[in-house]
Amino acid sequence: MSLAGVVDRYSERDSPVHRADARAKVPAAFAYILAISATREADWAALGLLAVPVLAVVFASRLGPWFVLRRTFLALPFVLAAVPLVFTRPGETVFTLPLLGWTASDEGIRAVATILGKSWLSVVVAVLLVSATPMVEILRALRWLRLPRILVATIFFTYRYFFVIGEEAQRMLRARDSRSARLPGQRGGGTVLWRARIAGHMAGSLFVRSLERSERVYAAMQARGYRGDHIFLADPPLPAAHLVGASAFVACAVLVQIGVRW
Amino acid sequence: MMILSVAVALPEQVPGPGLHIPDGFLSTPIAIAGWVVTIAVLALAVRMTNRSLNERAVPLMGVMAAFIFAAQMMNFPVAGGTSGHLLGGALAAILLGPWAAIIVMTAVVGLQAVLFQDGGMAVMGANILNMGILTAFIGAGLYAVAKPFAKSAAPLLVVAFVAAWLSVEASAVATALQLAASDTSPLEVVLPALAGVHALIGIGEGLITAAAIGFVGATRPDLIPRAATVPEHVHGA
Repeated sequence: MSLAGVVDRYSERDSPVHRADARAKVPAAFAYILAISATREADWAALGLLAVPVLAVVFASRLGPWFVLRRTFLALPFVLAAVPLVFTRPGETVFTLPLLGWTASDEGIRAVATILGKSWLSVVVAVLLVSATPMVEILRALRWLRLPRILVATIFFTYRYFFVIGEEAQRMLRARDSRSARLPGQRGGGTVLWRARIAGHMAGSLFVRSLERSERVYAAMQARGYRGDHIFLADPPLPAAHLVGASAFVACAVLVQIGVRW
Repeated sequence: MMILSVAVALPEQVPGPGLHIPDGFLSTPIAIAGWVVTIAVLALAVRMTNRSLNERAVPLMGVMAAFIFAAQMMNFPVAGGTSGHLLGGALAAILLGPWAAIIVMTAVVGLQAVLFQDGGMAVMGANILNMGILTAFIGAGLYAVAKPFAKSAAPLLVVAFVAAWLSVEASAVATALQLAASDTSPLEVVLPALAGVHALIGIGEGLITAAAIGFVGATRPDLIPRAATVPEHVHGA
């Protein structure tokens, strides 16, 4: 499977969310996630209300709830970092782990549930943005938002060459696998130190190849008149309706956060 | 966290996550503080890079960021189904200098968050600080301090190992402190857990980084001395 098949796969579909201007979507998604992070502990009403506009966008995007759900589980492993809170937060004992004798408190469970809820909802918003917006449009929006030229241009190049260099790395890994045949039941390869050295040499080799590629890329760009900035088509006017829609989306989150504190 | 998450990383080729904090795990003040520090350092990095490099820098840094992305796939089996792989902060800093490395790592961390939801959006400031800025300063700083004393290649490789190990450990400690300050994870649990696991991961990082520097030194020695300050080699070859 090529890397290009993994990312930026669903952004070419058509829906009101896909058609919305990235210059409205990018700041809106960011502001919404920031608003989610302001949710207080065990404020289930706020979390529930914050989920409503997000769900509406999920359905409007026609990506399918299953696709969105599946994508959100990518960020899951880090969840483990919050779990100890169940046992360390003082509060009323709910259950005790049989062997370790750790006691889980209701306070702790509430804290962890809040963190997980906030985290998951934020990931849904991020998945929506990325799945409904071509990467190039996101980067154009960043440029329009006046991020430093050199930073946006670097991110552009990273995105462009990630696939090229990534597939180069895959070829090197495949080559290593091919020369590392192993008999069943017998330990293959050398010591861990030796393996790390091989991986390091591969990284070094990849660095030299990447650098030499960047030299060729630069020469080719110069030959085509590159002067240090990407040349874009002029930004089309930002339709007021898109701005209104994005603002309304963010306003929902802000109103929820104000409402539950009031 | 990394060892646990590598196994879960979606399609087999997608680089496994490092210390990427997801959204919701940092309190709003800590997330904003992360952005403030990151934006300040990033602004400085943009100025320094614009001054010392020029339009040549963009293809170089972009391809280098793609390289760090790809180099994170360079894993090697350790034991029990786990594997070590590169995070790349120190390697980038040693090869490109701290300022270019910060921009490169920002591109890497930002794209990981956007493309793979590997790390959150609102907390991206903290993630860039932990995995890009701290690692760049430690990596480039240690290397620059030790370089004048090294008479041959071997001691420099030891320095590269130490710099890479320390940068990973610093990332882990910073992440633990931010999680604890946000009341997400108690300090007495998260600090030893992250610092302990990454003391091991850091060994892998150090070995790969040293071997990579050794390889570059052997094949393109012209890249090593200059690379630590200003990469002028773009025109070369």
